[in-house]
Amino acid sequence: MDILTGFTATQVFPLAELEVGKHFYWQIGNFNLHGQVFLTSWFVILVLVIASLLATRNLQQVPGGMQNFMEYALEFIRNLAKDQIGEKEYRPWVPFVGTLFLFIFVANWSGALIPWKVLRIPASELAAPTNDINTTVALALLTSLAYFYAGFRKRGLGYLAKYIEPTPILLPINILEDFTKPLSLSFRLFGNILADELVVAVLVLLVPLFVPLPVMALGLFTSAIQALIFATLAAAYIGEALEGHGEEEHE
Amino acid sequence: MTLWTILLAAEAAGESGGLFDFDATLPLMAVQFLLLMVVLNALFYKPLGRAIDERIDYVRGKLADERERRDKATAIATQYEQALIDVRREAQATIAQAQADAQQTITTEVQQAQQTVQQQRETAAREIEEQKAQAYQALEGDVEALSRQILEKLLGPELVK
Repeated sequence: MDILTGFTATQVFPLAELEVGKHFYWQIGNFNLHGQVFLTSWFVILVLVIASLLATRNLQQVPGGMQNFMEYALEFIRNLAKDQIGEKEYRPWVPFVGTLFLFIFVANWSGALIPWKVLRIPASELAAPTNDINTTVALALLTSLAYFYAGFRKRGLGYLAKYIEPTPILLPINILEDFTKPLSLSFRLFGNILADELVVAVLVLLVPLFVPLPVMALGLFTSAIQALIFATLAAAYIGEALEGHGEEEHE
Repeated sequence: MTLWTILLAAEAAGESGGLFDFDATLPLMAVQFLLLMVVLNALFYKPLGRAIDERIDYVRGKLADERERRDKATAIATQYEQALIDVRREAQATIAQAQADAQQTITTEVQQAQQTVQQQRETAAREIEEQKAQAYQALEGDVEALSRQILEKLLGPELVK
């Protein structure tokens, strides 16, 4: 701890301070909340809602401006869902997959583009909501629930039959998959975003000017890719649950 | 750098805080996300999706309409062309007919005229022949009379029978 305080004391730039694993706690009843995560996530939600309002405020047959942009986003999401889930079933899942993509994308980019650290809060620092493990695990668990829901709704209890397909020997592996899916989803996102922010922070700590810029640009790229990967995988899991093995139609 | 990782690990192991500090943030974040999904569904996915679908329907409908109209126009054009060809053929037939008629008339009239001319010439020739014959007869009579007179004059009337 002495080393850390010594390190930060010598800092000229307050921006370059590095805080990991500290949280700005809010207490509600017996529960602890990470305030900094909620503050930035509200910002992200606000951005998305305002963008949606702007896009749909005055719907035109020939889209322009914001409507055009958001229609482009929607078509992108629809194509993503259609590719993974299939033409017939994708429509009800567009909101889930789309919200996953938009929320993670805007959250990641807000972390990479907005100098949150300028805004001081009593403890910790503001950053992308996705660099908190709680957020990513929440999203990953929702994805798990979503594909279980999709499977059971489509095939009822017959969904459980997929655990012994193609042979009952694979039962443990099939069960294990249900745990590894959310685990890998959440840790991939969490690790990438946190690592990106850490690398940028450490580089800024060492060389405050120019040198971190390429890494920041790379961070933007990673952020976008991670949002795409999360949404694509979620859609793929849902599609897999819907598809089944027994009643596969060959078209 | 190693110092940092050690520090991170030390902090993560602490009783409160750390990288893997799960608490009520997780369920609340999930609820918040679901709420965001519902809100965005009402504000974004549904209206914009409807707009896109309506536009697709509109364009498809227009396209089908236009295709139908184009087909109709092509059909009418071919019909016109057919009618034009028919009319032209008819006109040509009429012209040919008229020409043939005219030719026929000319030929008959020329033949008639030639016949008439021929007849008239023959009649005239016959008349001339008749008159010539008459004239010869008359002349012969005259010659007879004259020669008799000459004989009478020369030989005397008693010698002449």
